[in-house]
Amino acid sequence: MSQGGDPWRGCVSLLGIVVCLSFVSPLATGAEPPLHERIDEQIAAHHAGAMAERASDAELLRRLYLDLTGRIPTTSAARAFLDDPSPNKREQLIDRLLASPAYARHMQRTFDVLLMERRADEHVPAAEWQEYLRSSFATNKPYDQLVREILSADGLDPAQRPAAKFYLDRAGETNIVVRDVSRIFLGMDLQCAQCHDHPLVDDYKQDYFYGLSAYLTRSFIFTGQDQPATIAEKAEGEVKFKSAFLDEPERQTGPRVLETTSLVEPAFAEGKSYVIAPAEGVRPQPRFSRRAFLATDLTSPENRQFSRTIVNRLWARMMGRGLIEPLHFDHSDNPPSHPELLDLLATEFTAGGFDLKALLRELARSQTYQRSSEWPADLDAQACPPESFAVANLKPLSPEQLAASTLEATGMSEAIRAEFEQQLRGDPRLGEVLAADEERRTLREEMSEQRLNAQLLGQLGQFVALFGNLPGERQDATEATVHQALYFSHDGGMASWLTPLGQNLAARAVSLSDPALACDEIVLSVLSRRSTTDEQQEFAHLLAAQGESGRATAVSEFIWALLASNEFRFNH
Amino acid sequence: MQCAYACRSTEHSIARRSFLGGMLAGAGGVLGGAFGGFARPAAAQQLASTQKRVLVVYLAGGVSQLESWDPKPQTDTGGPFRAIPTSVPGIHISELLPYTAQQMHHLSIVRSVNTNENDHGKGSYIMHTGRREEPAQPYPHLGSVAAKYLSPEDAALPGYIHITPGGNGVSASEAAFLGPRYGAVTLGNGEPPRNTKRAESLTEAADLARNDLRRRLNDRFVARRRTAETEAYSYSYEQALKLVAQRELFDVTREGDAELARYGTHDFGRHCLLARRLLEHGVTFVKVSHSNYDTHNENFDFHIEQLGEFDRPFATLVGDLAERGMLESTLIVVMSEFGRTPQINHLYGRDHWGTAWSVVLGGCGIQPGAVIGKTNENGTAVADREVNGGHLFHTYLKAVGLDPHEEYVIGGRPIAMADPSADVIQELLI
Repeated sequence: MSQGGDPWRGCVSLLGIVVCLSFVSPLATGAEPPLHERIDEQIAAHHAGAMAERASDAELLRRLYLDLTGRIPTTSAARAFLDDPSPNKREQLIDRLLASPAYARHMQRTFDVLLMERRADEHVPAAEWQEYLRSSFATNKPYDQLVREILSADGLDPAQRPAAKFYLDRAGETNIVVRDVSRIFLGMDLQCAQCHDHPLVDDYKQDYFYGLSAYLTRSFIFTGQDQPATIAEKAEGEVKFKSAFLDEPERQTGPRVLETTSLVEPAFAEGKSYVIAPAEGVRPQPRFSRRAFLATDLTSPENRQFSRTIVNRLWARMMGRGLIEPLHFDHSDNPPSHPELLDLLATEFTAGGFDLKALLRELARSQTYQRSSEWPADLDAQACPPESFAVANLKPLSPEQLAASTLEATGMSEAIRAEFEQQLRGDPRLGEVLAADEERRTLREEMSEQRLNAQLLGQLGQFVALFGNLPGERQDATEATVHQALYFSHDGGMASWLTPLGQNLAARAVSLSDPALACDEIVLSVLSRRSTTDEQQEFAHLLAAQGESGRATAVSEFIWALLASNEFRFNH
Repeated sequence: MQCAYACRSTEHSIARRSFLGGMLAGAGGVLGGAFGGFARPAAAQQLASTQKRVLVVYLAGGVSQLESWDPKPQTDTGGPFRAIPTSVPGIHISELLPYTAQQMHHLSIVRSVNTNENDHGKGSYIMHTGRREEPAQPYPHLGSVAAKYLSPEDAALPGYIHITPGGNGVSASEAAFLGPRYGAVTLGNGEPPRNTKRAESLTEAADLARNDLRRRLNDRFVARRRTAETEAYSYSYEQALKLVAQRELFDVTREGDAELARYGTHDFGRHCLLARRLLEHGVTFVKVSHSNYDTHNENFDFHIEQLGEFDRPFATLVGDLAERGMLESTLIVVMSEFGRTPQINHLYGRDHWGTAWSVVLGGCGIQPGAVIGKTNENGTAVADREVNGGHLFHTYLKAVGLDPHEEYVIGGRPIAMADPSADVIQELLI
């Protein structure tokens, strides 16, 4: 929502989201035990020895916030959760986070990077595409529908134009689109199979690559006079290929997804294959669109590879490692660590209508997810490799998670929210928004989140530049560089967040005269847990060394040390 | 159907044995999320005792081979300048390079380069990676390859430094799949790397104290959680401290006024002196860019001016490296994205020309005082021993002791270090 415009515009749709958010998980009903229990059974069945303990409330709180909303909790949210004596507060927190505006934003960012891989904009502006994704996740659009929209949109219909970004911003290059469709949606990197059967992976056939190509080979980017680029299609054109290694005759394939039978195409009488025939400067439209069938064939429940790939991806996001690793290397010589579990997740996900939220909810509720990342002292590390999921795996924060969490930790985000609330109070037209009923509260959260996001975007670029991977590369793993450490150590903007200003963390800590309370405030804000006696002593020590005049300096140094620590850098 | 092979498999022969066996470690691990940061390739281990370095002088925009390394006086394309003798009997270069001519016994010229590319960006890519651009597969630049495989694993200084008239920053993309720590650290106008200066308000003591605190916090956290990733992150802060402590290394004024005067007080002079300073202190790869040679008009005036600026600092740098005994371990390359047309256009300019031009090499592993290949009478075509960017890239790697026929393994796919359709220019090597 624009900041200067009519504050009521868009409220209806925002309220609409609220209704949609109150979902009932289809996965948790029925005679079978809930999915999260069956997950735990499968993990236990594959692991003989001891496992890590249940994660503490603080450990799980931070993990859930990062995984479901892309940032760490505020101090007030952390306090409320840690002090809450309710026995089912974990389940409540999971539901609350999945219903929050920050969930849709986090999913938007995650899927933007997954689908577009930080490419520069070509034809569809990032802002429109991101809003399309955000609203899709806010309404919990089924995953198969989302992918169908992305693969079938032609860019002509303004309402669906953002969805066409996947194809348009890959410049309509069939080979690139096929490679990315196979990798992202099918978990199979078929790039090698463009030129020959994969030399090392028996399952990856050249026919697969060209079966997918055949859906797209007739499509191209059409740019009419004074018109934005759209995807157009011809009624003719076949793919022919032969191995670059073998001296063999050229082969041909119709459109098909992996092993499914070829698409049966209608036959048209001579000259009848077009609704709009191709001509100079005219966007042709065939009677039969092969490309439209890529969307339906790929996302069909018959295509197990589709659901198998997304559940493996979401599992990897939550558990720090895929059941199949690498995520885009699914083939018979690289079997899943837990084949039955992967099958179970894919089956349930398909049967439940491709419901992303429901799957994430069940993953989050599992004991497997809620296990500590700390090794019990007597545990044999060799007996618990990462793929055993016996100990929670560490996950480095993505650049987006790191940026949002750094601003949250230093209290800069809270200042933006407070400013927004202040503005609401000062504006009589907005006064009603403060009314206490549930719908209004959620609306306010939505608006506050939008405001925060707009401010965060200004900082995101440098985090992405330093912590992100290159365009076109897998984005969830990054290597530590000296430039990252230099940025945290000496960047001017970063230093300003550590200096007392308004109600930021440094200012709050300086104003607390009791060192133990001040230390606790800092640790809670940065690491989402209570401080230890050790840390309180460290802090007292630092204060004593700096003297009363150096109180602000001591506070800044302490906050910095926490921010620069592994405990902050990783989701643990 | 026209097939634009994204992986260009027709040109790479995949060796299953090599894929399964002696691959270069590290690169695949980075992409697989396993963080190969601490894995050391065998090649680099062998080199640890005799650290090799690389200096690239990049004449941006495309220097004219006819006004520099391959003069054709008295021909229809030759332009107004004479050729002068050099310190190697029989080798003549343009009279615009009198100081460099005196260092010719340390250098060699390849006069038969045909990269067949007249676009700035694409030509630059070929010369930095030894390959043509492919939409689906970025390749690492020479600087990143050198940083990864020639630098000691625990080096505090960045392995790949680019000194340029432009802005300060970090360019991770040049490292491609080798990983961002091998990207270029750009010293815009010779300024030190970004964020290496402490704020006035942060004393050295306070910085060290807060880092002590960071270490103690880390120790508690990783006591029962240690992974390669936490190690690498902790280590990056130690590296940052070392880099900040060595910040004066980037301050060329420390070399003194007399040295600055020898190199010339203009930017390129300072940048060459800074390059020497960095190489002397163990930086593996330094590239100095000199702009701008894109002389579509007034080619001759511009080359008087540009090469006048280039000649003395470059020659001084070569001489200094030789005098310090560093030439045996330092490969020197003078390159552009392409040369310039033999035909002189109506604006007295020369246009883009990747068909027959020259590159200069010297130092580590390179036979001194040689001329490889030649162009025809008036420079319009290569007449002998044609090479492209791939041959040159092979030669750079081989010269510093790396095997260009080794393979990276990226996402399960073997990729040769250098374009398999080319090979080393054997007669140029010692």
